[in-house]
Amino acid sequence: MTAYIAYARKVFLGRSAYRFDHLMSILSVVLQFFIFCEIYRALYGGAEQIDGITMSMVTTNFVLSLGLGTIFSPDDYFLPNKIWDGSISTELLRPISFKGRMIAENVGDSAFNLIFKFIPVLIVALLTTGVEPPADIPCLLLFILSAVLGYGVLWSISFAIQMTSFWLINIWSLVTIKNVFVNVLSGSMIPLWFMPEWMQGVLDFTPFASIYFTPVQIYLGQLSYGEIAAKCAIQLVWIVLIYLIGEILWRKGQRKLIVQGG
Amino acid sequence: MSFIEVKNISKTFKVSKRGSGIPGMLANLVAPKYEKREAVKDISFSIGQGETVGFIGPNGAGKSTTIKMLSGILYPDSGEITCSGVIPYKQRKSYVGRIGVVFGQRSQLQWDLPVKDSFELLKAIYRIPDDVYKKNLGRFTEMLDMSGFIDQPVRQLSLGQRMRSDIAAALLHSPEVVFFDEPTIGVDVIGKEAIRGFIRELNAEDNVTMIFTTHDMQDIEKTCKRVIIIDKGSKVYDGALTDIREHYDQTRTLEVEFTTNTETEPINGVETEDIDARHKRFIFGKDIHINDLMSQLLQNYSVRDINISEPDIESIIRKIYSREGAA
Repeated sequence: MTAYIAYARKVFLGRSAYRFDHLMSILSVVLQFFIFCEIYRALYGGAEQIDGITMSMVTTNFVLSLGLGTIFSPDDYFLPNKIWDGSISTELLRPISFKGRMIAENVGDSAFNLIFKFIPVLIVALLTTGVEPPADIPCLLLFILSAVLGYGVLWSISFAIQMTSFWLINIWSLVTIKNVFVNVLSGSMIPLWFMPEWMQGVLDFTPFASIYFTPVQIYLGQLSYGEIAAKCAIQLVWIVLIYLIGEILWRKGQRKLIVQGG
Repeated sequence: MSFIEVKNISKTFKVSKRGSGIPGMLANLVAPKYEKREAVKDISFSIGQGETVGFIGPNGAGKSTTIKMLSGILYPDSGEITCSGVIPYKQRKSYVGRIGVVFGQRSQLQWDLPVKDSFELLKAIYRIPDDVYKKNLGRFTEMLDMSGFIDQPVRQLSLGQRMRSDIAAALLHSPEVVFFDEPTIGVDVIGKEAIRGFIRELNAEDNVTMIFTTHDMQDIEKTCKRVIIIDKGSKVYDGALTDIREHYDQTRTLEVEFTTNTETEPINGVETEDIDARHKRFIFGKDIHINDLMSQLLQNYSVRDINISEPDIESIIRKIYSREGAA
């Protein structure tokens, strides 16, 4: 365990090395947040609510999903880079689980982002547009649980996609396609309330809605306890299912492995 | 009882074969062509505990692939490997904790951190007990003379210093087997000697099993008793270094300097080469007695100096490579 903590710590400490880059990435999230809010303010045109969704609910959706997006940052190129330059060979010589190490580094990264990105963005939002408070304390706690599961879903998607690099070596395009799907279909760009009815039905059968939108709905108290249990179960099912696909690819991939550059 | 047992392992890679330039790129896009390349073909051997074995062979012969299979990174397509009762590629996590690997061309240290910090990270990864870590670190620092640069970031080290740090890093957890993949590549003469001395000492004191690949025959001569020659994926020789001569090249050479310009009569079974007018080289096999040849020469000609030599290992190896290449 100490080895994994050492890796997580290494990443956490290493992230603070590039201060300018860090400040700019906070700024970019804040800008994105303001732009999205202004677009919706214009669309609302001063209306109290549209289809029972108030402007402040929309704002809260953006704060939470963009904010969680800063924390949820699995490194999509963790394995591909190591395969591309051949350093995978030295990684496999360590007596620790490669996946465990991958998770450890992601956790170190996320911990850094939670403290130094999410909280600044949240403060900016509180001072400017304001954020709806959580419906009640149990909802806040269930929101945190569901957000962790949402991260699990995103992580396993990234994990499974990375495993294809055993065959493809360069997976930039796959990662880009994944990011488009995640951005558009998870509610972090268009709140899923505004999706047409049939589209919402389709999205219920994809893993994307359970990344950000499920936690947001729980936070706002839109779901009954029964629904919360069902949605969290769906999150769990996605994690297990996608992780298993990744695991099969990982096992097959290791047999396929070609170490680049001798 | 053999420690490492390798039975009939093979490994084939699919290599993309594509023409050059834009036509080649387009052809590759529409109908990619692949070629199967057998990197390792049906190799078997066994190695005892505490042995030092050198793997030699020309570039692309399959040495590194064999090492990577032995260290659990690659799966063989067929065949079996066991190392002290463990199958490396199947029980990778428990296995790699007991071995050490040094890749001459690939550093395992953290580029931005001081050498010592990399060692600390390895201590956590391998769960090295404090006392073992302290003991090994102290010993290696002294043996490899690392005290001058152990607090410097890796990126600021010279190649020789980096290599010594890498070797120490691979051995901190007291592995039972160490694989060296070209450990002296790009290192100067003094550095090479230091590395070889360290390897010899460690083998003698700790009875660590060691396996090398290298292109430097001096490395092999100074550290290994046994060599395995691999060429085109197959094993072509496995035995004592000293037996290579007997096996492949039994000729000896007599170099003679005459007092005046001399033409010699041909001698039966002896090949004659002119170096210049007064120097000649006589090459002969085991069937010719050196006494006979020398007395014949001394009787018939006026000789100033005489020098007998056996072919050096390097030239024998060169012959083996080119012969296998021609076959």
